[in-house]
Amino acid sequence: MAWQRVASFSEIDVDGVLGVDVNGSPVALYRLSNEVFATSGICTHALALLSDGFVEDGRIECPLHQGQFDIRSGKALCAPVTEELRTYAVKLEGDDVFIDMERPAASAPAVANAAPNRKAGDGVRVAEEGDQVGSGKIAAMNVDSELSLTKRYVWPAEGLTRIPDWVYTDQTIYEREIERIFHGRTWNYVALECEVPKVGDFIRSNVGPTPVVVVRADDGSINVVENRCSHRAAEFCRELSGNVKEFVCPYHQWSYDLQGNLAGVPFRRGVNGKGGMPADFNNAQHGLRRLNVTAHRGVVFASYLDDMESFQDYLGPEVLNEFEATFDGRKPRLLGYYRHTLPGNWKLYHENLKDPYHATLLHTFLVTFGLLVAGNRSLMLADATGRHGVMASAKSERKSVSSDAKKEMRAYRDGMTLAEPRFMDFVEEFDSPWSVTMATIWPNLIIQREMNTLGLRQIIPTGPHEFIMKWTMFGFEGDDEEMTRHRLRQGNLMGPAGFLGLEDNEAIKFVQDGMQHVPGGQHLVKLDPAVAAGTSDSLISEASIRAMYRHWRAEMGL
Amino acid sequence: MSEPAVTRHSPPDGAPLDSQLQAMLVHHEIESFNARYAQALDEQRLSDWTEMFTDDALYVILSRENYDRGLPVGLIYCENKRMIHDRAFALMETSMFAPRYLRHIIANQVVVSVESNGTIKSRANYVVLQVLFDRPDATLHQVGVYYDVFRRVGGELKLAERRCVYDNLLVPNALCIPV
Repeated sequence: MAWQRVASFSEIDVDGVLGVDVNGSPVALYRLSNEVFATSGICTHALALLSDGFVEDGRIECPLHQGQFDIRSGKALCAPVTEELRTYAVKLEGDDVFIDMERPAASAPAVANAAPNRKAGDGVRVAEEGDQVGSGKIAAMNVDSELSLTKRYVWPAEGLTRIPDWVYTDQTIYEREIERIFHGRTWNYVALECEVPKVGDFIRSNVGPTPVVVVRADDGSINVVENRCSHRAAEFCRELSGNVKEFVCPYHQWSYDLQGNLAGVPFRRGVNGKGGMPADFNNAQHGLRRLNVTAHRGVVFASYLDDMESFQDYLGPEVLNEFEATFDGRKPRLLGYYRHTLPGNWKLYHENLKDPYHATLLHTFLVTFGLLVAGNRSLMLADATGRHGVMASAKSERKSVSSDAKKEMRAYRDGMTLAEPRFMDFVEEFDSPWSVTMATIWPNLIIQREMNTLGLRQIIPTGPHEFIMKWTMFGFEGDDEEMTRHRLRQGNLMGPAGFLGLEDNEAIKFVQDGMQHVPGGQHLVKLDPAVAAGTSDSLISEASIRAMYRHWRAEMGL
Repeated sequence: MSEPAVTRHSPPDGAPLDSQLQAMLVHHEIESFNARYAQALDEQRLSDWTEMFTDDALYVILSRENYDRGLPVGLIYCENKRMIHDRAFALMETSMFAPRYLRHIIANQVVVSVESNGTIKSRANYVVLQVLFDRPDATLHQVGVYYDVFRRVGGELKLAERRCVYDNLLVPNALCIPV
């Protein structure tokens, strides 16, 4: 392989390192005074990018384990690195840096005649010159975008006990999640059947960030279509819910039936023999984008893939069992909505409900009133894939709180009682050993069964740093007025003003805030080492979070 | 400001004057009640706020979406003063949220009716502005309407019902102090 232009001299800081991608291989470029050197971009010890490391006294220090290499020779200088780093020959022509990956560093370094200062317009000039040197060379650097992505986003060598911040903050990662997860091989919650009981009933919903309409068609089927006119992309449906005979886009009056088929195009044949659509325009090819739909026990899910596994298989037997403990055959009845923004990454919400560790520590309300303590019987279940989970606990009587458990939780106060304790009553209505279950159904649903207050929390991501949460609160047909009011009273625990809900929202915001200005940060998720990743019967565990990231990394190819 | 208007329109027999004065007094009373109410919340004196309700008071914050569709779910749902007390106590003693300043602005009070038993139905617009201690800007946290029922307890005006119906579709992150 011959010389390739890889960068501009002026791009490399003095005593700095610049990472570039050359034909899919990471290369690190260094500038020591006016000399430029090049080495392999990956540490010989663990999978880490040296371009994230530090240059000092002609040495590069790896960011991950602080091993050091001599930049000129590639020699390994200190533990834990032992293997020499590959070096590459470098030459400079004007402001252009060339390397030859088949030749090691020359004994004579590449020296710039004069260190040019970067000026506005330099970038354009450099690019043109680069093109002349070898046609197609720059394009070749980005040929394999999949490969370069995996090199740029390197998971920490410690494995699943660390989560790098870029998982939560990076726009490229976010866009890949929409494509691979929300629009990928997943069933996404969109509605309850009882929200669209009659023909023509619709509600607005979302699959990932994508707006959809859920509508009951004339044949009784529930259809999910993108809320985007196939003509000029207008989000045509503007009411949150309602009843229609057809959908008409207000912009050019294109109309669609309740299954999303294009029914009418005004002036399709033009006027006075002029204009209009081409003669071969076929309505059948221009309907709304329709999604695959399934429903189980009154809960409706949609997928962008037509060859999805059944919903039952998607959940797996254990999570399905918990799903069916909440949706036990009674028909859900809508009680209302909460909707709020949350300035955090959407995955943090899953993690919050795969993290039973926080429950007694953050939510001092529960502990203060003796409603939940660390010694309660509990389970943190993960399905075989790691994507779904169920956090479950059984309410215990207050007298059973051991003094050991109490000491651990500063908030516990003996003798403190509620003025209206009945709001925390648990009316037994489910065939389940658990009084509380929080099921995280990948990728966009949490099923809340907090004693008798029931809700479906739908995650609508709007970017790496924020999502919208829509809570659909429900009871069941057959609830008498007192049961409905009990559910509403107990609802004070949840939602964006809930005793527990507001604290979760605040805590998740704090986590996102903490990642904003700390480059290269990582989270620590080491609790419960006895379970590498998966189900744990301890509250003091992060094994389900690790299981989720095992799945996420596979889906994302990271 | 209102006195000259009353004098100018006063009819000779005096009875309508009384009712006009009565209406103005009620209006003024509710206006000053709401000013005290806003001040208690702004200063986060939630025990004082609790005392502004009757024992059987209903206090609910619900979205315009739920209210218009007859759906009962509320952000805060208190069926009596004991629940209002628990809410105030929990927020002051157990809840974790970032420190903040809040300004409750209440305007456009309208007395809808005064019943013979002294019960007053009224409404008012409200706006809640929020400033987080460590952030530069004030944000419009909530905008809505109070639908109220007032009753006198020992001569003092108290809220027997306050339904806070907010128009903004999305609550910004969390509602930590009542409205």
